[in-house]
Amino acid sequence: MTHEFYLWMSYGVFAVALAIEMAGLAIRRRSALKAIEEERDLEAQD
Amino acid sequence: MNWFYFSSPSTFYRLAGALAPWFFAVAAILGAVGLYMGLLVAPTDAQQGEVYRVIFIHVPAAWMSMFLYFVMACYAGVSLTFNTRLAAMMARAVAPTGAMFTFLALWTGAFWGRPTWGTYWAWDARMVSELVLLFLYFGFMALANAFEDSRRGDRAASLLALVGLVNLPIIYFSVQWWNTLHQGSSVKFTGSSMHVTMLQSMLLMTFACWMYAIGATLVRVRCVILERERRTRWVRQL
Repeated sequence: MTHEFYLWMSYGVFAVALAIEMAGLAIRRRSALKAIEEERDLEAQD
Repeated sequence: MNWFYFSSPSTFYRLAGALAPWFFAVAAILGAVGLYMGLLVAPTDAQQGEVYRVIFIHVPAAWMSMFLYFVMACYAGVSLTFNTRLAAMMARAVAPTGAMFTFLALWTGAFWGRPTWGTYWAWDARMVSELVLLFLYFGFMALANAFEDSRRGDRAASLLALVGLVNLPIIYFSVQWWNTLHQGSSVKFTGSSMHVTMLQSMLLMTFACWMYAIGATLVRVRCVILERERRTRWVRQL
């Protein structure tokens, strides 16, 4: 295999890992805000 | 400056929100310059050819994996000693990014090892101790989330983080203590045996990864604060 394969597999996975982490952080923040919204609604109903 | 002011989750939440975009911006600039220098400016290695360019992400990832573990263990120690909420939250926030860099160090190392050593993996002291570091990160995260009461999870995970600190000198000195396939350090506090452009590119990428890790940790700690403090008045007023 040529050196391009090893470089792409290294740099490509590096970029994918960063993208997954950023997406995971965005999803986690959205779900945390949603949970707060639900708490607020429950409180308003009480 | 009163540093205790920032140890309150509500204050730190706002500070982290203001700082995180700046760290990401600096990381992007340093990363772009580092990649340009590493992939286009740095000369081809006389022995390894072009494949040595994996170094520009492998070494920063490996350094960050150890550095972030040390930072996580420091927060864990502060959390255990002073029973501070924010320190425990910070330790939790550092762990996933540290685990990601550890995985990347192992992964990129494998794709560097295949063309240079002829194998993706060897049961070599440096590689095995780095793999143990990945398991320590996984153990920390699993233990932190294993309890209904998050404070108990914090204490158990903090203890594991402190015990796991012993692995850091083992990783660092493994290439000196044992006969390993992995090469010794090219960069030392006393100097470097690398070409200056290679060294500059590697350091730029290291600082980029460092800035990224701080940004990601700040964003994650904001999530942890929201999850933990969602019943407090200040969070509901957000």
